[in-house]
Amino acid sequence: MIRDITIGQYYPGKSLLHKIDPRMKLILTFAVIVVIFLCKNFFSLGVIAVTAVIASALSGVPAKMLLKSLKPIAVILLFTAILNVFYTQGGDVWLEWKFIKITEKGVFTAIFTMVRIISLVLISSLLTYTTTPTMLTDALERVLSPLKIFKIKVHTLAMMMTLALRFIPTLIEEIDRIMNAQKARGADLETGGIVQRAKALVPIFVPLMVSSFRRAYELAFAMTCRCYTGGEGRTRMKQMKLSGLDFFALFVCVAITAGIIVLNHFFEAVI
Amino acid sequence: MNYAIETIGLTHWYSKGTPQQVAAISDVNLQIKKGELVGIIGHTGSGKSTLISHFNGLLKPDSGKVLVNGVDIHKDKETLRNTRFKVGLCFQYPEYQLFEETVYKDIAFGPKNMKLSEEEIKQRVIRAASFVGVKNEHLNQSPFDLSGGEKRRVAIAGVMSMEPEILIFDEPAAGLDPKGRKDLIELIKEYRKQTGSTVIIVSHSMEDIASLVDRVIVINNSTVAMQGSVDEVFSRGEELRSMGLNVPEITEIFAKLRAKGIDVPTNVYTVEQGTEILRRLAAGRCAE
Amino acid sequence: MSEKLIEFKNVTMFYNDPEEAEAGENIAPALTDVSFSVEKGEFVAVLGHNGSGKSTLAKLCNAIYEPSSGTVSVKGIIADDDEKADEVRRIVGMVFQNPDNQIVATIVEDDVAFGPENLGVEPKEIRRRVDEALKAVNMYDHRHREPHKLSGGQKQRVAIAGVLAMQTECIVLDEPTAMLDPMGREEVMQTVHRMNKEMGITVVLITHFMDEAVKADRVVIMSGGRIVMQGKPREVFSKVEELRSYGLDVPQSTELCRNLGFGDGVLNVDECVELIAEKLGGAR
Repeated sequence: MIRDITIGQYYPGKSLLHKIDPRMKLILTFAVIVVIFLCKNFFSLGVIAVTAVIASALSGVPAKMLLKSLKPIAVILLFTAILNVFYTQGGDVWLEWKFIKITEKGVFTAIFTMVRIISLVLISSLLTYTTTPTMLTDALERVLSPLKIFKIKVHTLAMMMTLALRFIPTLIEEIDRIMNAQKARGADLETGGIVQRAKALVPIFVPLMVSSFRRAYELAFAMTCRCYTGGEGRTRMKQMKLSGLDFFALFVCVAITAGIIVLNHFFEAVI
Repeated sequence: MNYAIETIGLTHWYSKGTPQQVAAISDVNLQIKKGELVGIIGHTGSGKSTLISHFNGLLKPDSGKVLVNGVDIHKDKETLRNTRFKVGLCFQYPEYQLFEETVYKDIAFGPKNMKLSEEEIKQRVIRAASFVGVKNEHLNQSPFDLSGGEKRRVAIAGVMSMEPEILIFDEPAAGLDPKGRKDLIELIKEYRKQTGSTVIIVSHSMEDIASLVDRVIVINNSTVAMQGSVDEVFSRGEELRSMGLNVPEITEIFAKLRAKGIDVPTNVYTVEQGTEILRRLAAGRCAE
Repeated sequence: MSEKLIEFKNVTMFYNDPEEAEAGENIAPALTDVSFSVEKGEFVAVLGHNGSGKSTLAKLCNAIYEPSSGTVSVKGIIADDDEKADEVRRIVGMVFQNPDNQIVATIVEDDVAFGPENLGVEPKEIRRRVDEALKAVNMYDHRHREPHKLSGGQKQRVAIAGVLAMQTECIVLDEPTAMLDPMGREEVMQTVHRMNKEMGITVVLITHFMDEAVKADRVVIMSGGRIVMQGKPREVFSKVEELRSYGLDVPQSTELCRNLGFGDGVLNVDECVELIAEKLGGAR
């Protein structure tokens, strides 16, 4: 049923990763992503890859679901691998046929890049698998709140994100309803050229806009009634508190970063 | 004779192929005769909306068949497309489908999709508009400038203008005030009388159903739980209540009078009927 | 008793902004010279056909609109600036017709917390109020769910909980059941009555369902932007013809007894059955 759609890919669970404070998780994920790009050789990248695998195992998210998050980037992976294999030259020549020349360096670079991208996607999906979109928005608001001093309205942005999350399912339902109503009047949405199809969307788009404006208007009323005046003077029911676990996670990430810097220093760079 | 609509073993699943798979409707076997006025009742989530979306082919059955005039509507693409025009479906809050610049154009949307001639379209629009009581001077207005009740009428005209053989209304009076509600019920009665078409009406109002239809179909737990005349269905009050439904208020009054030992029939479905019976009873007692 | 919570004095309301106006309403006033008041603890039902001005009346109660002329005061406060409007909204909460368009958060309990958060209440106190409010509307077990997966009646009860958590003294409900099925209507009405009886919250219920008005302390009938009738439900419902002329109707019980000449102002099935049994029994 269309009503059952869930935004994001949160996988409910009680793992250590689920329990880390969303703010810490957000910051650490970004930190690790930066660190991934610092890796210069297979040893340091290996540390990241192992970390990603261990974190995945800890999260309790089924491997099948994790692999699913890699599916959309399969094409990109393949493409970068091929590019690297053919265009990076150096070291021993492993195969040469007409204009094709595959070298040791090319293959290594290809593998390196692939592992890097896979780790990157895996780690960032772990964030969204173990944190609800609501918690993420909340964390983002709190993490970015120092930006207030630059007059950036962090609260407003976060509120907009929350409302978007809240209304996406409602609007999807609405689109479905309008489409059915127009199809019942014989609207043909499936055939014809591009122009014809674009035209066929007008009967869907106009009612959708009209109802979205009505909703926005009513929502603004409702928020005013509940004394909403922006972020000023607001408190929050759910307080986020850092626990031992969060500091442990921080420590692990710092240790990994230090290790990677050392490994980068002692071993030859691949790229 | 072919039925206007017939379903054979009609089944539809939600989230098919996933572990959450549940039957929206299962093994529904129904026959609706030509020219009949049928009411469908059932609580929210019983599957009645899914059911009516099959009647004009908006949803495709996972198993079973839908026959309109004896023909399987999913036989081929052409048949399916024609079914949309044969079976008009007017959704809940139909005013939310309005989109054209003028009332005229909006009512003409359906007939235009039928590829009718300009002249024919014009005639149909004017017929439908005047039938629902949209004034001629409103035809060139934007539908968005009309009041809520007028918008509803325009939207209904937009389905009527296709002049379908079978017309289905899903909660046509939802959100209207008592007068608007009454007027709309009258309108549907009149439409049936004038066109002789088959009309199916889905409603939560037992009073409206009881005063309007020839036959009632009760949907519960994704399937047909009861069907029969108003009398046959509303005489089973206890069962209806167990399905989250009810009987008309007047029927409840008579059932309670009967329970108090007063000799009244219990098959009373309109206030007029009830008044008549009690008047006679009172007169009889005075005469004794 | 008679402490006036909301008081309208000669209120006239024009919609000047054409965008806010429904068709035709920018020409005629939405309300004309309306004077009326709601006492503390009272349950007032405001009835009227679509476009009778009842929704405008509701929106004036908590300072969404300012009257074009006349005054609206809530506990003596006239909301003529933003600060006072805020004060009024801390006293009078509001629930709207469309359950979807008033829920702000993606989780039920977060939505209920929205009001108190805006008021700057302490986090622990918010938690307490949210739990209490959700229990009061029987939605505590659903507190972690996503609003779009709830039924209409459940969504409206979440909206009511949102007002309860703000601890307002009065709640104005603008056709809260118009978009619900009978079961949802029943759920919401039971909740509203419980709030009034058990928690002493003043209720202004805008509706066009007559059966929802019969249990009110007072019924106000609106037509053409004016208050045309008001009184106890029994008094008002005894004037069937007049009600019909305002595009309204009476419950079938009322109509039946009236048709039979057994009496006007019968309000529900049980009263009706009693009355008929008595009259017929008496004739025996």
